[in-house]
Amino acid sequence: MPPASLKQLAWIFLRVGNLTFGGGDPTMAALQSELVAGRRWLDEEQYGLIYGLARITPGTNLLAFSAAAAWKILGWAGAVAAVVALTVPAAAMVVLLTYGYEVFNSNALAMAAIGGTLAAATGMMATSAWQLLAPQIRAGRRARTAVIFLASLVASQAFSMPPVQVLALAALAGLIWRVPVEP
Amino acid sequence: MNLFVLYLLLLKAVATSFSGLTSLPVVRHDLVEQHRVLTDRQLNAAVVAGRTAPGPNGLYIVSVGYFVAGVPGACIGCLAVMTPAFLIIPMLRYLGVRAERPAVKNAIQCVMVAAAGLVITSTVPLARDALTGPLAVGIALGSFLFLVLTRKDTFWVVLGSAAIGLLGKLL
Repeated sequence: MPPASLKQLAWIFLRVGNLTFGGGDPTMAALQSELVAGRRWLDEEQYGLIYGLARITPGTNLLAFSAAAAWKILGWAGAVAAVVALTVPAAAMVVLLTYGYEVFNSNALAMAAIGGTLAAATGMMATSAWQLLAPQIRAGRRARTAVIFLASLVASQAFSMPPVQVLALAALAGLIWRVPVEP
Repeated sequence: MNLFVLYLLLLKAVATSFSGLTSLPVVRHDLVEQHRVLTDRQLNAAVVAGRTAPGPNGLYIVSVGYFVAGVPGACIGCLAVMTPAFLIIPMLRYLGVRAERPAVKNAIQCVMVAAAGLVITSTVPLARDALTGPLAVGIALGSFLFLVLTRKDTFWVVLGSAAIGLLGKLL
């Protein structure tokens, strides 16, 4: 494996993480090209394991993936550098956008444009729900998916059950009501 | 709101989710309903800000922190987004192959389904605030269909919806 420096590693995560739109999957694909195919700091098997584990790590999958990939290459210093390089510039941009929302809050034309984006946000949230649900609507899982989806809606909407409790009950249901999983 | 409490609440939201907006129900429950330091409109605006910027999807939490406590709140939000990522390192060291166990996979699949239901529940009050007329409803439906059918970047949705909102006001 060719040696990596902390500066090189941080630069890759800063560049790829902050210039790739579309969230986790496109960014992880770009990082795969850089770290596996390009510089060979990770092999395909390591990438596969890290990708799989990132999926089950609580929080943002992309950040977990980055922490693990960089840790494998340069230890804890690499992990911290990668996560900071990936998050802080984009977070600064989020703050600027939020500030812009506050500043233009009293301008009628700006509010019309912002009103359009707020309406779109509800569409984005519905998309997010669909993207979580769609992979689970497949043969052998449909009944369980329907029951858990409806139960979570009723528990949260009709009984105001806190989300953490709903998720914990869903995990428990998954441990009890098992279906065959792909290797 | 005390910054440490804000950090713990945002950390709880991030650490109990498995992707970008699945933390939203917890954020809404804690900050909008319980502590009342955030409005539904601000939460909606935070989602837009988070989705417009590049980088990880869950960064709307930074915007939430900013709305609650200004720049220090944004820094706290950023910290809360980053913290759980490091959990993967002990998992990588000790879990390894066990992550592929059917029991773990089944539990995660069910959590994802329940998270979808929770996201829908959270969307209802936000939609009530944002969908104020036929144009807004059209934008929301159009955004949903555009994102589901084309898988294009949300940046274009934000840009297009702002342009349509502006045109609606001018015409």
